[in-house]
This record gives sequence, structure tokens and C-alpha cells, in this order.
Amino acid sequence: MTNLSNHSVVALADVVKTYKVGDVPVPALKGITFSIPRQRFTVIVGPSGSGKTTLLNLIGCIDKPTTGQLTVAGQDVATLSDNAISDFRAQRVGFIFQNFSLIPVFSAYENVEYPLLLLGVEAGERRRRTTRMLKAVGLADRGAQRPNQLSGGQKQRVAIARALVKDPDFVLADEPTANLDSETGAAIIQLMRRMQEEYATTFVFSTHDRQLMSHADETFTIRDGLLVEHVSGARPC
Amino acid sequence: MLMLKIAARNLFRNTRRSVTTLSTVAIGAAAILVFGAYITYIQYGVQTNAVQRTGHLQVFRNGYFALGTAAPGTWGIDQYATVLRLIRQDPTLQSLAAVVTPIQSLAGIAGNFENNTSKTFFGVGFVPSERDRMKQWNEYGTGSQGLKRSGLKDDDLAEGITGIGLVRILGLCERLHLDDCPATPPGASEPAEATSGDASPTLINVEELASRDKSDGEPPTPTAGATIDLLAATAGGAPNVVTLRIAKVELQPLKELDDNYVGMNIGLAQNLIYGRSEHKATGIVVQLHRTEDLGVARARLASLFKEHALDLEVRDFTDLNPQYNQIIDLFASIFSFITATISIVVLFTVTNAMSMSVIERTGEIGTTRAMGIRRGGIRKQFLVEGSLLGAIGASVGVMLAQVVAYAVNHSPITWTPPGAGAPIPLRLYMNGAYALIAFTWIGLLVVSALAALIPANRAARMQVVDALRHV
Repeated sequence: MTNLSNHSVVALADVVKTYKVGDVPVPALKGITFSIPRQRFTVIVGPSGSGKTTLLNLIGCIDKPTTGQLTVAGQDVATLSDNAISDFRAQRVGFIFQNFSLIPVFSAYENVEYPLLLLGVEAGERRRRTTRMLKAVGLADRGAQRPNQLSGGQKQRVAIARALVKDPDFVLADEPTANLDSETGAAIIQLMRRMQEEYATTFVFSTHDRQLMSHADETFTIRDGLLVEHVSGARPC
Repeated sequence: MLMLKIAARNLFRNTRRSVTTLSTVAIGAAAILVFGAYITYIQYGVQTNAVQRTGHLQVFRNGYFALGTAAPGTWGIDQYATVLRLIRQDPTLQSLAAVVTPIQSLAGIAGNFENNTSKTFFGVGFVPSERDRMKQWNEYGTGSQGLKRSGLKDDDLAEGITGIGLVRILGLCERLHLDDCPATPPGASEPAEATSGDASPTLINVEELASRDKSDGEPPTPTAGATIDLLAATAGGAPNVVTLRIAKVELQPLKELDDNYVGMNIGLAQNLIYGRSEHKATGIVVQLHRTEDLGVARARLASLFKEHALDLEVRDFTDLNPQYNQIIDLFASIFSFITATISIVVLFTVTNAMSMSVIERTGEIGTTRAMGIRRGGIRKQFLVEGSLLGAIGASVGVMLAQVVAYAVNHSPITWTPPGAGAPIPLRLYMNGAYALIAFTWIGLLVVSALAALIPANRAARMQVVDALRHV
């Protein structure tokens, strides 16, 4: 198990999450304690129903723990109001979704630009950062196209650019290669790895993909709502 | 601006649904505007009719309007010529007034002795040329109504106008060669057998009084064409009779009026009511160039009478034509009902469209919330979309209404407005109806925004995790 440290971007202390299905309480996480170090390629693995997505939702501040302490980027997020936590996400967390979740009425460029608009970044700076990010993911010439005009791999590249454009503390990716063929998935993993190194940010994935696991600096294994294993990779923390 | 851009793009994600919703709003807006323009036209038409007949304001001896209409002779304005001059020469009123003219009301019995018929009448004496000028008033361009010229001359006291109903009752249709005016069946006006022995006391009196009048040395009135004799009580209470030559027959807007109306030169009316004593006038009619000056003119008249210590009251055309406000109120209530019905239809249509949109975009709501949009931002987004639906729909509706108004205004359709005697072209007053257009546009925008409120709140209340999980 990893202890909480100042080098952590996320720290969980005895975090419990219980859902209610009707009147029946269903425990998803049963008291997890660990921390995710900064600037690492971190993978959370586990079988279906083990609690990976719940853990990712908590780390991404889109859900709150039932009990326990959750510190994200140095902030005890359980104490934040709904608006404050929305602002926190807007500034500090980038998301990459399994089904890409691009906004269909926006072009690729606008999708990448959108998080900067939410942060009120000035137009010139927005343009500069958006263009640079589209170029970085290899879609400089696809900016005008709508999501329905892009392939799955291209959509996920746009999603990666969108997650990174605001320079977040960390990027969360829920099974980012699940909807891609293995070749495209491999290319996306390579891209994420490169971006993580280039932008010196933290990536946290949940995945079943062995290719992705092989790239991990840190691997946390979850089973039945409990952390059962933590393997730290060869790369130095 | 960003929200508006997103809203505009989202509106056409489901084109068929958006077009259906926009059509509902547009047709609703057009219906409100067309009916509103029609009501405006009716209001102007009825007002024009009233102002042509009674002017904007009438000055009476104080109390006449409430108490004196049964005895106009005793409620006449003393030295009315002085009051008339005072009004005509006032600098303020001079610029506002188109016509300032005296009138004399009267009531009595009209008889046609050639046919042994008589009938109560009520009439008005006026200055023919000034009455003709009043009939030209057409501030709103609603077109001609009724007969424009009385056909009477200021210096000919013997001629007058009657309603068609009155000449029909008096059995003068044939003599006057009137179309659509049935002649009296033979014997219908003869006294019944049982009462032939004691003939109608009214007829006897009229005949006697008429012969008495002529035997008093007055010159007999020329009676070329149809004539009727008018009996009325003078201001002193004595009976008096004059003979009136019917110069023109005018259909009056109400049957009761048509069966009783006699219009004549004011001199004849004054002769009948005041005889040889001082001639007075029941009222002084003030017709303004523009209705919007009514308040100023009324205030000026009141201060003028106060300055000169004249015990006179001023009534406007809505007092003089009680049906005016009734007609306006009736149409206003129909307009309110139609507007409310259309608003409810728009409300439900937009709510339905926005609810469907929220359901379809649940995943997207989750994504944007995860990216940091606050609940308020989501709510605002759907409210903007609903409002945009209302704004676009209402704008299309305004254009549609303009097209309908143009088509109607260039068609030969006519109608007879309440209170008018003849049909006039049907018009929709859309040009310049800025208040109506603004009311409709803003109203539908607000209704659409309100309609989007419930779906918008539902979208804003969604849990991010649940929304992301939605398929």
C-alpha cells in the first residue's frame, strides 16, 4: 500500500462508497486507502463490478465518498459546494471517456477550445493553445470537422486534446481504448504516453486492456471494493 | 454569445421536431397578431363612426347628460352663440378642433296625415355644412361609413333626413321610391272598425295643431315631395308643430334609431322647441383633428368654463356612445382568451420539445458537467434554447402576419362594423402596430422560456454520474 505523501495528486484515506438500490445498500468501495503520485501513468485494474469506475468517479470529483477522506490536488473535495467542485473540475481535472463524449454540435476545434471558454481564457490565448493541442494529437487539419465526420481514433485524439488543453493537474480516462480496435488502441496509448511525458501531467486510467497495463508506471488492482495490489513500475516516481 | 451559438446549433439537431415546434409558435404568433390587427381596425372603425356622428367632445349644461335628456328644451345652453365663439376663438382649441358646432336634441311625434299615420320620433338639429364636415373625419383611414353628405342646406330650414324605418312606418316608401322599403298594405293604417267612431286622439290633435299652426299666419312650409309634420313640446310646455320635407332617407345602424330618427337644420329644431323665444342649443359638439388630443382639449374646455364661470359639463365620445366601450371590451376579452389559449399551446409544445431534448442529451449533460459546467450553466443553456425557439418562432410569426395582413388589405372583402350603417372594406391594421408586435414577440419569448424552465431544471438537477451512465 502507498502512504499519503506531498507528491500525491490524489490521496484516499479509508474511503467507503455505498449506493442504495431501492432500500438495499450496495457497497462499491469498502474502505480504500492509497495515493496516486504526480506525473505518472497510473492504471487501475480489476474485474467488472470491482469498483474501478466508482473509484475513478470519486477521484474525478463527480461523486462523493460515503465516508472517508478524499484529497484531490491538495483539496479536501468532500467539503466543497456543488458550484465549487464544478469550478474545481473545470480547472484541475481532465476527462477522457470510453465513448469519447465529444459535443456533437461542435467542430473538433471547438470541442478542444470549450474547456478554455469555461475558464474564461482570452481569445488569442485560446486560439494558440487549441491549435497547438490539435497539432500535438495530429489533427491540425481536422479542426473544422464535426465528431460525426471523424473516425473513432480521431475522436479519441480530440478527447485527449480536450482533456489536456487546460493544463490540468491530472487526466482521468475510463477505459479509453475499449471502443477502439487494437491497432488504433495502441496508437492512442502511445499518444497518451507521449502527451503525459511531454506535458508532465498525471494520467489515471481504469482499464482491462493489457497493452495499456504494460505502459503503466503504477498499477492498482481493485477487487470487491478493496485495493488488493499496488505495483510500482520501473519508471521513477 | 457562446450559449446562443450552442443553442442555435442544438435546435437543429432534430430538425423535424424543431420545425414542428417553431411552426406552432409562428402560427400562434401570427394568429395573435392578425386578430390583434383586426381588433385595432375595429376599434378605429367604431371610433371613426362615433366621432363622425357625435364628435370627440360635447358640451352640455351641467346635469343635462344625467337628468335632462327627456326635456332638452329646458336644459338648453343659454347664449350658446357666446359659448361657441369662446371655444372657436380659444388659441389652444383652435389648433386642436376640426369642427365646433351646436346641436339641438328633440323628441315628439311625427305624422303623415295623408296616410293617417303617426309615430314618436327623436331627432337632432344641426348645422348641415358643419355636420357634413364632421362626416369627413377619417383619422385612421378606415374608409367611408354611411352617407357622407346630408344633402341639406344651411339656409333651408324646411328639409330634413329620416331613418328608413320611420318613413316605412309612416307609409312613405312608395312616395319616396325607396328600394327594400315595403309599401303599407291597403287599410293597414286605417283605424279599426271598433274604434273608427273615435279616431286616434294623437292624430286629431296633430291635425288640429297643424291647422292651428298654419292659421297663426306662419308661412306654409314648401312640401314638394314627401313631408311629415313634427309635433313637440316647446321649452315652455306648449305644443308646437312644424312641417319637414324629407330630403334624404338614411339607414341608421340600430333598428330603434332607424324607426325614430329625424335629422334637421338646427334652425327648424329651435323653431319647434323654442318658438319665438330665445333660441338655445342642447349641446356644442367639438370634433378634434386627432383623438390623442382629447385629454388636452377636454382640460382646456374645463378651464375655459371655469374662467368664465359657465355651468357647463363636457362629455367625450365614449360617454355619448356607451356601445363603444362595450364593443372594445368585448373584443379585448376575446383577444385575451385567444392569446391565453395560444400561449398554453405554445407552452406545452415547447415544454415537450425541450423535455425530449433533455432526455436525448443526458449523456452530453453528464460530459459537460464533468468538464466543469455548473448546474446553473446547464439550466441557462436549456432556457436559452427554449427562448430561442420562442424568438425564432415569434419572428417568423410576425412575418407571416404581415403577409396575411397584406393579402387581406388588398382583397375586396367588406364588412359592416357595429354601429355603422354601410359595409366598409375589411382591413388589418398591422403597419405601425409596434406595441402589438412587441407584446406578441416578447410574450411568446417569455412563454417559451417558462416552458423550458421545467426541463431545464430537470437537466440541472441530474447527478453527473447518473447522466454519464445514461445510454
